[in-house]
Amino acid sequence: MSGFFTERQMFVIFPMGKKRFALPADQVSELGRQKRGEEDEQQKFPHTTPLLTGVVVHRNEIVPVADIAPLLAANDVIERKFYLVLDRPAKGKTSRTAIPVTGECELVKAERLPTEPKLPAYISGRLSLKDEIVEVLDFERLMSAEVPA
Amino acid sequence: MRISQALSKRRLPGRSAEIMILFRVGEFTFAIGANAVEEIRDLTGLQDFSFGRSHQKLEKVKHAFERQGRDYFVVDAAAHFHLDKAHTTRVMVLRDLAAAVSVDGIEGMQEIHSIQGLPTAFSGEERDWYRGLALIKGKVVPVVRPEAFLNRAQTTLLSAWLRTTRAATGVADTA
Repeated sequence: MSGFFTERQMFVIFPMGKKRFALPADQVSELGRQKRGEEDEQQKFPHTTPLLTGVVVHRNEIVPVADIAPLLAANDVIERKFYLVLDRPAKGKTSRTAIPVTGECELVKAERLPTEPKLPAYISGRLSLKDEIVEVLDFERLMSAEVPA
Repeated sequence: MRISQALSKRRLPGRSAEIMILFRVGEFTFAIGANAVEEIRDLTGLQDFSFGRSHQKLEKVKHAFERQGRDYFVVDAAAHFHLDKAHTTRVMVLRDLAAAVSVDGIEGMQEIHSIQGLPTAFSGEERDWYRGLALIKGKVVPVVRPEAFLNRAQTTLLSAWLRTTRAATGVADTA
């Protein structure tokens, strides 16, 4: 079978600035709402890891928050009151990371098309939807990418 | 004002419990094991200190003081955590090290039953700074590693440099 044909997979699509991006649905464990003064409110402490902005206490677990907006949309981002909670492989076990998003997330089944050489390394593929091309993120590469000043 | 750490060597009945001292630097609260702190004192007796060589990791040592005939080197906690200038009011003298940490204030003591490891997503200097994270009344508090402020090799280096400087300037060596 040729590598040009791939199975249709489930993706979570979310807006970030003027564009929408996708993550494989099997990496997304849930969409949580940020609550002020309660669990799931972001808390901060000093650190030097790029993109991480703090942590949330989610289901009694301390989950890091990664704001990927500076890489994907510069400052063109409205307030985000929800988190996508991602499962990430880490040293043989799973760790979780939350990314702030607006609530307008969508679950779609689509075929992942190859990426293009001109796209950043953290784009692992593209989805051709009705009237738009959505880029699929490689979250691990995204987290290791340099953040533009 | 000096508060001796009489509690610090005492074991709690519960095996998993550990007494922490909560301290504040800027807008942040941190915890340090009470066993790691010898004394909490005010700023009396602090002398300005600057390591004479270009050594970026030791620029955070801003003061020194003498205690019981021994020199102690004071790490500015705000500089250690790369925070804006803090309003220092207290110094925590660390146990078993010629080191102390200047902080904005002491918030109290707290018994902690569990410390969660720092999530692996954190990959910067904080992996050295923190033992982990504690959840105290819904608030996430980093638990610091005392040796991250100054380790034994660094205090030895600073002591040697101070002795050499004193000898060169004719100041009596008390250490």
